[in-house]
Amino acid sequence: MLSIENLHKRYDKRADAFAVRAVSLDVREGEFFTLLGPSGCGKTTTLRCVAGLEVPDSGTIRIAGQTVFDARGSLPVAKRDIAMVFQSYAIWPHMSVAENVRFPLDAMGITGAAATRRVERALEMVGLAAFRDRPAPMLSGGQQQRVALARAVVKEAKLLLLDEPLSNLDARLRDQMRVELRDLQRRIGTTAIYVTHDQEEAMALSDRVAVMRDGVVVELAPPRDLYLRPRTVFAARFVGQADVLPCTVAARDGALTWLDTPLGRIASAGAPPDGPLSLLIRPEHIAFDAGALNNLHGTITRVVFGGRIVEYLVAVAGAELRVQGTSATLRAEGEAVTLHLPPERCVMVQGEA
Amino acid sequence: MARAWPAIILGALLAYLVLVPLGFLALSSFRPTGLPFEPGLTFANYAAVYGAPGFSRLLGDTLVFAGGSVAIALTLGTILAWLVERTDMPGARLTRALIILPMATPPLLMAIGWAMLLSPRSGAINVWMRDLLGWAPFNAYSMGAMIFVQGLALTSTAFLFLAPAFRNMDPALEEAALASGASTLTLFRRVLIPLLRPAVMAAAIFLLIVGFVVFEIPGTLGMPARIFVLSSQLFYLANEAPGGIPLYGQVGALATLFLALLLGLGFVYRHFTREAARFRTITGKGFRPRRMRLGRWRHAALGLVALYFTLAVVLPVGMLAWMSLMPFQARPSWAALSMVTLENHRDLLDSPRVLEAAANTLLVAGIAATLVAVLSTLISWVTVRLRAPGSAVLDALSFLPIAIPGVMMGVALIYVYLTLDPIIAIYGTVWILIVAYATDYLSFGTRAAGGVMVQMHPELEEAGRTSGASGAMVLRRITLPLLWPAIAGIWIWVLAHAMRELSTALMLQGRDNQVMTTLLWDYWQGGEPTRAAAVGVWLVGALLAALIAWQILERRRA
Repeated sequence: MLSIENLHKRYDKRADAFAVRAVSLDVREGEFFTLLGPSGCGKTTTLRCVAGLEVPDSGTIRIAGQTVFDARGSLPVAKRDIAMVFQSYAIWPHMSVAENVRFPLDAMGITGAAATRRVERALEMVGLAAFRDRPAPMLSGGQQQRVALARAVVKEAKLLLLDEPLSNLDARLRDQMRVELRDLQRRIGTTAIYVTHDQEEAMALSDRVAVMRDGVVVELAPPRDLYLRPRTVFAARFVGQADVLPCTVAARDGALTWLDTPLGRIASAGAPPDGPLSLLIRPEHIAFDAGALNNLHGTITRVVFGGRIVEYLVAVAGAELRVQGTSATLRAEGEAVTLHLPPERCVMVQGEA
Repeated sequence: MARAWPAIILGALLAYLVLVPLGFLALSSFRPTGLPFEPGLTFANYAAVYGAPGFSRLLGDTLVFAGGSVAIALTLGTILAWLVERTDMPGARLTRALIILPMATPPLLMAIGWAMLLSPRSGAINVWMRDLLGWAPFNAYSMGAMIFVQGLALTSTAFLFLAPAFRNMDPALEEAALASGASTLTLFRRVLIPLLRPAVMAAAIFLLIVGFVVFEIPGTLGMPARIFVLSSQLFYLANEAPGGIPLYGQVGALATLFLALLLGLGFVYRHFTREAARFRTITGKGFRPRRMRLGRWRHAALGLVALYFTLAVVLPVGMLAWMSLMPFQARPSWAALSMVTLENHRDLLDSPRVLEAAANTLLVAGIAATLVAVLSTLISWVTVRLRAPGSAVLDALSFLPIAIPGVMMGVALIYVYLTLDPIIAIYGTVWILIVAYATDYLSFGTRAAGGVMVQMHPELEEAGRTSGASGAMVLRRITLPLLWPAIAGIWIWVLAHAMRELSTALMLQGRDNQVMTTLLWDYWQGGEPTRAAAVGVWLVGALLAALIAWQILERRRA
């Protein structure tokens, strides 16, 4: 549906600072695809290049088989089969809700009853049918967000581009809109490209996530793989909490790899990748009991009670580990504990700890 | 680079409007005849101007006049702004609304009004004083009176500059200082004054530029006593030089020095406005400024405000209104009341010359305002949105006219359109005035339009483009409607200023382009003070209507 090949973009032509460098992506029809990364990683620039709001320096962009950018030229924004939701919502304050939503239809030359029907349908889809004549400035943040969404879906474009659309909402509304957004995308079956710096949002929404850093795609995988079996230290840390320790391969034993770490010898399920290695283990995967392998003895040095979850810092021989428990069992500072690191959750990743 | 085209076209237009006249002015200063395209090359004009025995006095008087009036305006303006915005003075809101009254009073009328009050022999106040004390202490035709009236005339501008700075100061900044253990003195010294400094400096320099450039008050109150400042000297050389021949070469030579001085000030001003914008403490959350309790001083404060309005508006405009009802220049008294007549006003409405001047005024102001509104919008769109290459040049060119005195602009345009007369025959018509005002007020227009454009989130326009709309449709349906209140505000502001402008109109005066202010000047200089007063009353009424419309628009935007 969307294919990007070897995309390059620099804002300052003289400097060697690439906003986007050699990005290549293939997004499948109907997919919810997320670009995830810290600010300045190039995710928004990539999205704006797809929309046509930025002109890349080089590369090729194809939307639904149509080349919209290559060395020969750039298709104007208005001619691209896209719709976009902006971070600021960009609701036009001089128009009513219905006028905002109708605008793309006006632009396409669709008028009369057909246009009215499509506007109604789009507003119903986002639950704003009752607000159609409300002036746009008299809406709450969440309602503005829905208008922006309705304005995008009314166009029935092949590709829906979303630039951090939930980042200006408060936490509770964000959770709610996240679910609605996913449902809406499934229902209309459009392909969505979503830009965010919020890893939880990326996990909850996406079919696949591309993690970006310094203008480059570092890792591209479905959320579950990205979280449980990341390939790089950067992605591992960016998508969730992580204990990362330096390690070297000591021995291979069937499906297990034995690693030398500051904690001693640890077994990891799987084969090691190339290059410098680190051991990743997520705090919530560490268990407070003994297993067959990878058992450690330590003392709790700090407890942070967070309600649903409780975070512990445990001093073991050679290192301190962050461990997560639930409030079902509470442990005290100074308590001696045994930790178990399940080998299938001990992941070897590329990069220095 | 298709993106560069709008910048190139606008740049060429601006260069034509701004640089060509200045170039002609500079060229003429090196010509023996003072005409830019006559042969010969000479420094005689410079020698004549800068070597003249009176030159140091001219320079000194200009500095005293500008400095003195700015000092008065800044002091009064700061006090008024502080009283209105940061104290519990009664009537603060009314004061803020009434500040458009002095703005609607053209400096020329203020000067004429005060001349009627303070002229040494017949001035009303002087006559009363002589009856009372046997001694008339005041003289309208003196440096002191010039500074006094100009100071009053500039005070409303100073207030408009400073009031937002006082209003938009987040009280959290003061509370943070007090919570840090600062005393009131430390609060003022370390927090409030540094925060206000850029705004006050910007206001001071802007006023100083105006003080160097204005002609109305030095022309009305200074020239009869042969007190000259830069602008009136330029006028004198071009219009009333001994021998009857305009000394254009000397005008050019004198103009170059002051242009350099004013341009320097102009760029200092720009520096401070940028700094002031950086300091502006708008957080989006509502706050209520801390107001100081004046206690017993509340009524003294109110008295001060009342005194200002009396001096700036009530006395001069009241005097004009009175004179407009008199058959001859008679000072207000019970005895004179029986002579009240509407004859002057009726005469005006019957006079084809007056009606033509009124029509010209509306035509010139209306078209100039429209041109400025359109050009400013386009220029700021190119510099702020498109950020086309060469934007900085466009920005500087559109800002430059702020430093060109009206008299100088007039002389420069005389050169340009006398030379171009075979091609563009607008010399002596209303069109040359339109060109002059459109150029002059572009600096205000581009700054105002640019400010609004900066505040408008670019995603509003981008959302139009991703909706599938063409560039023209985005402009028509989104950009222009959003900018509309600002554009209308610029339009009315220029309209009001073009209506009250005198010096340029005077320089470019021909048979077919008389406007209200030149008519007023002619009546006043020609010894018909009551007719001048009647024209003035109508002018104040028209300006007041325009400024009220402007205020309503500004308020709706806020």
